[in-house]
Amino acid sequence: MSRIVILGAGIAGHVAASHLRRKLPKEHEVVVVSPNSNYQWIPSNIWVGIGRMKPKDILFPLAPLYAKKHIDYKQAKAISFYPEGDAEEVKPYVLAEYVAGANKGTTEKVTYDYLINATGPKLNFEATEGLSPGKNKTHSVCTYTHADEAWNALNDLIQQMKQGKKAKILIGTGHAKATCQGAAFEYILNVEQELRRHKVRDMAQITWISNEYHLGDFGMDGMLMSYGSNIMKSSEMVEMIFEDRGISWILGAGVNKIEDGVAQYETLEGDYKTESYDFAMLIPSFSGHGFKAYNKDGEEITNKLFKGFMIVDADYTPKPYEEWSVQDWPETYQNPSYSNIFAPGIAFAPPHSISKPRKSKNGTDITPAPPRTGMPSGITAKLVADNIIEMIKHSNNELHHKGSMGNMGAACIASAGFGMTKGSGVSITTYPIVPDYNKYPDTQGRKLGKTFGTIGLAGHWLKLALHHAFIYKAKMKPFWWLIPE
Amino acid sequence: MTRRISKYKRFLMMNPIIQFFKFIYLSIKIMIVVAGGHGGTREIN
Ligand SMILES: Cc1cc2nc3c(=O)[nH]c(=O)nc-3n(C[C@H](O)[C@H](O)[C@H](O)COP(=O)(O)OP(=O)(O)OC[C@H]3O[C@@H](n4cnc5c(N)ncnc54)[C@H](O)[C@@H]3O)c2cc1C
Repeated sequence: MSRIVILGAGIAGHVAASHLRRKLPKEHEVVVVSPNSNYQWIPSNIWVGIGRMKPKDILFPLAPLYAKKHIDYKQAKAISFYPEGDAEEVKPYVLAEYVAGANKGTTEKVTYDYLINATGPKLNFEATEGLSPGKNKTHSVCTYTHADEAWNALNDLIQQMKQGKKAKILIGTGHAKATCQGAAFEYILNVEQELRRHKVRDMAQITWISNEYHLGDFGMDGMLMSYGSNIMKSSEMVEMIFEDRGISWILGAGVNKIEDGVAQYETLEGDYKTESYDFAMLIPSFSGHGFKAYNKDGEEITNKLFKGFMIVDADYTPKPYEEWSVQDWPETYQNPSYSNIFAPGIAFAPPHSISKPRKSKNGTDITPAPPRTGMPSGITAKLVADNIIEMIKHSNNELHHKGSMGNMGAACIASAGFGMTKGSGVSITTYPIVPDYNKYPDTQGRKLGKTFGTIGLAGHWLKLALHHAFIYKAKMKPFWWLIPE
Repeated sequence: MTRRISKYKRFLMMNPIIQFFKFIYLSIKIMIVVAGGHGGTREIN
């Protein structure tokens, strides 16, 4: 009998848990440790942030589902890792603290045979002074509670605009090394459309602020893509959309401090500037959770497991951008020191950024961190689950399932406005996610055709269809596994 | 605001009938990219 412990019940953790449970006989235990009692479909937070969906539309409670599916669920958060056990416990374990229920505040040694760390990112608001959701007129859409608060604030502003107030709206990244530009991009377009719907668009000045060097970088070094019968850069596509929607932009901006209605930022030219606003949605930097790890003698071995995020089979050797290669990216998400520990989704430490790194004249790194969107999070979680299943069934340590982001496609359907007839979406697929400049030297590391973009109402329908399909899948309803990650 | 998308293109982007077919086309195309599989990079190269 094996015991597989999964930390986190986000996209990666839940995908891993559901596949493990479906494919493994009941004698093996699948245990999920996660502090949030709900599963949330994060991509739809954008629509919560404009009041077109309610938090209840994008979440469901995990406990009843896990009870029905024989997945053991602990509403707790991992604190520290003991991959060799300790003086009293021979099995490896994770120390977890319950966050709800009768056991709240108590800790438990959650022992495992295999561990999947799918704890995603820590939303590191503290890295930017004054950036905190709901404070200083800044907001976030990274969780459903943040998104709901963002909508309340935006709605207040819309009511004021209806009374004649002119407003400034600032949306983008709130740190020099933030990622998730795609989510901010969706939000700015949705906000713009909502202002038009409420007939106050002419009262607002909307500005995009980002650590990207070019528009449409998205932390992926931008893309060269098929667009209808043309070939277009993602920067040209985003510029076209922003100009068409009357959105202005500030690029190469490392936001470093927020005061009430004022964002301070440094530019790549080394200038220190400010931008005022009445409403801002700024994505914080993402970081690891600051977990510590100990060996069986109680000595700290955090650097064997973590480099901010969890260390996996990537090549972390520091090297200049020109020498980066697609082979630096991990394939199995297995920790090199402990072969029974894996980290899919956002939880793994990337070898470096995907976008070309840039420093300001003052030496500040202003470079988007690499995104790990929902699809690669799901795919990497499933392949980790499949490898663990094979390890258990064949009692060996061979890993046959591989999925590098340098040999994986991703679809990003960015909502550009909500509505069955008035909605819009920017549908982009990218192959591979991490550009392979050796394989595709003339097309900026990507395969044209498989890397394409298109804009229109169908994109909105697609995003809505995916919302329903992925919630159906996450609820593990009949034949859920037929829906791909 | 600078008009960067022509009236005709906007019509194509927002016409529900045209977009219905686009929806089918996009669903298949995305499936192909996604179901196209994934793998390692180290052995191939
Ligand atoms: C607003 C927004 C919109 C997005 N839109 C899209 C989109 O349209 N398409 C797309 O592909 N991707 C999108 N993404 C990205 C996508 O949401 C992420 O790629 C995905 O959620 C990553 O999955 P994950 O499981 O690695 O992390 P998460 O989903 O963040 O899950 C982490 C889990 O770990 C748990 N956890 C945290 N700390 C602990 C701890 N100490 N112990 C145990 N558990 C812990 C959390 O509660 C959570 O359950 C969007 C992201 C945002 C923020």
